[in-house]
Amino acid sequence: MSIITISRGSYSMGVIVAEQVAQRLGYSIISRDLLLDASDRFHIPEIRLIRAIHDAPSILERFSHSKQAYLAYIRAALAERASGGNVVYHGLAGHILLKNIEGVLKVRITADMNYRAAREAEREGISVDEARSILEKDDQQRRRWTKSLHGVDPWDSSLYDLAIRIDHFKVDDAVEFICRAVESERFRETKKSLQMINDLALACKVKAEIVDEFPTLGVTCQYGNIIVYTKDKSHGSKLHKHLEAVRGKFSGIYNLEIHSAAVFPPEAV
Amino acid sequence: MEPLTTDMILVMCMIGLAVFLFVVEWVRVDVVAILMMVILPLLHLVTPKEAFVGMSSNAVISIIAVIIIGAGLDRTGIINRLVKPVMAIAGKSASRVIIAISLTVAVISSFMQNIGAAALFLPAIQRISKMQKIPLSRLLMPVGFSAILGGTITLVGCSPLILLNDLLAPFHLEPFGLFDVTPIGLALVASGIACFILFGRLMLPQGDHGEGSHEEQGSDPDLAFSDLGEMYELVTPEDFTHYRDPITVLDLRKRYLCNVLAMTEPPDFKTLSPAPETVLHSGIELVVHGKKEDLSRMAAAEGMQIKDTLETYKFDLDSSKSGIVEAVVAPRSNLIGKTLPEVNFQDRFRVSPMSIYRQEETYRSRMRDIRFQAGDVIRLFGSWKRLKTLQQEGGLLFSIPTEMEYMRPEKAIWAGIWLVTALVMIMGFKIQLSVSLMTGALGMIITRVLSVDEAYQSVDWRTIFLLAGLIPLGIATEKTGAAAWIAHSVLNLIGTVSPIVLLSVIGVLSTLFTLVISNVGATVLLVPLVVNMALAAHADPRMAALVVGLATSNSFVLPTHQVNALYMGPGRYRTFDFLKAGSLVSIVFLVVMIAMIALIYGV
Repeated sequence: MSIITISRGSYSMGVIVAEQVAQRLGYSIISRDLLLDASDRFHIPEIRLIRAIHDAPSILERFSHSKQAYLAYIRAALAERASGGNVVYHGLAGHILLKNIEGVLKVRITADMNYRAAREAEREGISVDEARSILEKDDQQRRRWTKSLHGVDPWDSSLYDLAIRIDHFKVDDAVEFICRAVESERFRETKKSLQMINDLALACKVKAEIVDEFPTLGVTCQYGNIIVYTKDKSHGSKLHKHLEAVRGKFSGIYNLEIHSAAVFPPEAV
Repeated sequence: MEPLTTDMILVMCMIGLAVFLFVVEWVRVDVVAILMMVILPLLHLVTPKEAFVGMSSNAVISIIAVIIIGAGLDRTGIINRLVKPVMAIAGKSASRVIIAISLTVAVISSFMQNIGAAALFLPAIQRISKMQKIPLSRLLMPVGFSAILGGTITLVGCSPLILLNDLLAPFHLEPFGLFDVTPIGLALVASGIACFILFGRLMLPQGDHGEGSHEEQGSDPDLAFSDLGEMYELVTPEDFTHYRDPITVLDLRKRYLCNVLAMTEPPDFKTLSPAPETVLHSGIELVVHGKKEDLSRMAAAEGMQIKDTLETYKFDLDSSKSGIVEAVVAPRSNLIGKTLPEVNFQDRFRVSPMSIYRQEETYRSRMRDIRFQAGDVIRLFGSWKRLKTLQQEGGLLFSIPTEMEYMRPEKAIWAGIWLVTALVMIMGFKIQLSVSLMTGALGMIITRVLSVDEAYQSVDWRTIFLLAGLIPLGIATEKTGAAAWIAHSVLNLIGTVSPIVLLSVIGVLSTLFTLVISNVGATVLLVPLVVNMALAAHADPRMAALVVGLATSNSFVLPTHQVNALYMGPGRYRTFDFLKAGSLVSIVFLVVMIAMIALIYGV
């Protein structure tokens, strides 16, 4: 039981690779349906979620925190789906949404710009230059998204366990590499990794419940013990009441605390 | 009225900047003061010499000396010795206990920094609360307020009053004497205590009222932590370490929020407060403190067996050998801003931290990540011997149920002599405050009440730089004519008022200022202003300055004053509690202060 995330640029064959890996390993595949799932559950139009996960936040959105809320919903949906294990997630933010979780194989599939532009031009019936311009814009948008929300560059290869230049290999080769990699000891499910993903799912659920009213709070979960972090020196009774209601909603929460004037730990969602 | 000049506008911008930074707290208040010290000469609003004149001011030297004298008194334990006779007089009545301790703290606070007196008395109050079974929440707020009010009894009681004469000097006004404020200060202390005695039940969270309410839990440390569980002895199964990763003391804490207080290490070594990384072995006894439901979950998941009573550790965990205490992080503790692992807390002291209380919340999860703040309450388990070592290390305020061992009790007489000498020099020989107090401080060092290094360490440099850094801002306000301009503008706006009304307005203004910017900041900014206002309105400028000096101690409505912040955690107070009790005390303070000034100085 493992989790594989595949991060990709547009027209990098990432989707095909992800589908073939899932098929070969008998894993389920999560991609767009994740957004549908989040959209259904939290009653947010899918288009807003797509924008949330694709476009970098505007100045206004940074203040309104709406993007944070949508991300929390997507993350909650992903963490829950991933907690069952045996999944391949292909999408931009997989490695970030599941950061700090042990046993997740993080793959980056990339390709030379000429290769990608040629494929896009062929598929869309446009000139190569036009295709290149579209792709460059798209790449830039994605980089800005990850940088502004998570402070990392998605093109930094150290974020991944495996980075594959797809134009140098065949799709089958890439599938082979990934399937071999996931078999290694490091990516096998352990009691600890299972606990971590379950804790993440629970933290994400709690965050999704409170993010609308309290967008700036951080949430962690360790062995079912939830901590809600606030940078403020004190917090109102409203948060208390809200959290009590949340506590009753989910099973598996053993303790719930609010830490004020706190520095958020890196794994806080 | 003089026309508005560029310099005046610049000074007002600087005042605006200082007030803004005080409110938003992007940098610490003392850093704001240093910023002023540097910017003002760069803008040519003061000369370089004037910029640093605060460092050599009477006020700064006096406060250094007061801090050293306070540290000397603290080290001899002379103050703690007062507790016993005071308690004997007070008897068992809660009201009498409140009056007795509050008065004692107020008197001590009149010669020490308020926060110093408050911190010094905290362990004693905790002990009295336990002994007399009076909820801590009923004692701490009256005592804390008295510590602040006590600062108004003498001219060296608090920073604003120490500063006052320096701020009056440019106006060539007659300085105040050490005890000129005493009648007013005593009346303020008496009225503050009276508020709590008469209306205490309405103002304070009551321990004996309400059922299961926050107040009930908040009123007594034992009650407050009763929901954190009990001690249980358990045995690990024989196959505990088979086919699994080792389980440590820290693992149990992370997973089940249970604290291992004692455990057996093979073959049969009994360890009290084992280190977090200690591995649990098969077939051993361990004593764990935690909530029943967490403990049951742990026992079930790890296959441990819970015993009905303490067996193996019955004698080792007897209350004569070890116990649980609440320690409060002291205002200048080394722990502030650090986490438990960063100070090697458990390795050094071998006691078990069990929970932390801050801002109306008890933290049990991820305690090792928490950066401490002054006023945090840490609940600790340990042997009395180790707890005493921790207490002697300083930085944490708590009482342990054994007789306190004073570090240098034999020096108490010397400390007393030097304090009296300083007072006689001030009163009898009219020698300047700074010289007299420094003589007292030096005397204590020479007679080895405390070493010169200890004296240096005791000085709170934040207070010194705050004072010294803001003095040039006061000079610039006066020198450029900005103070006179603002004063005239305000007076033009409000028209002619009687001196009493003017003083009352100044009192309210100072109270509001001290709540948002520090009391020193409020004093430095307001004194030049109100002196000018009083001169223009033909009122007594000295009285106007005195109102500022006194009213900047009127900081009770919010827990922003250091003393209130320190007592908030141990007293389990909420901000609302301060709002409720503080509002009444603040109004009474203003009325009594104006009435006393009118009565004594015939304004």
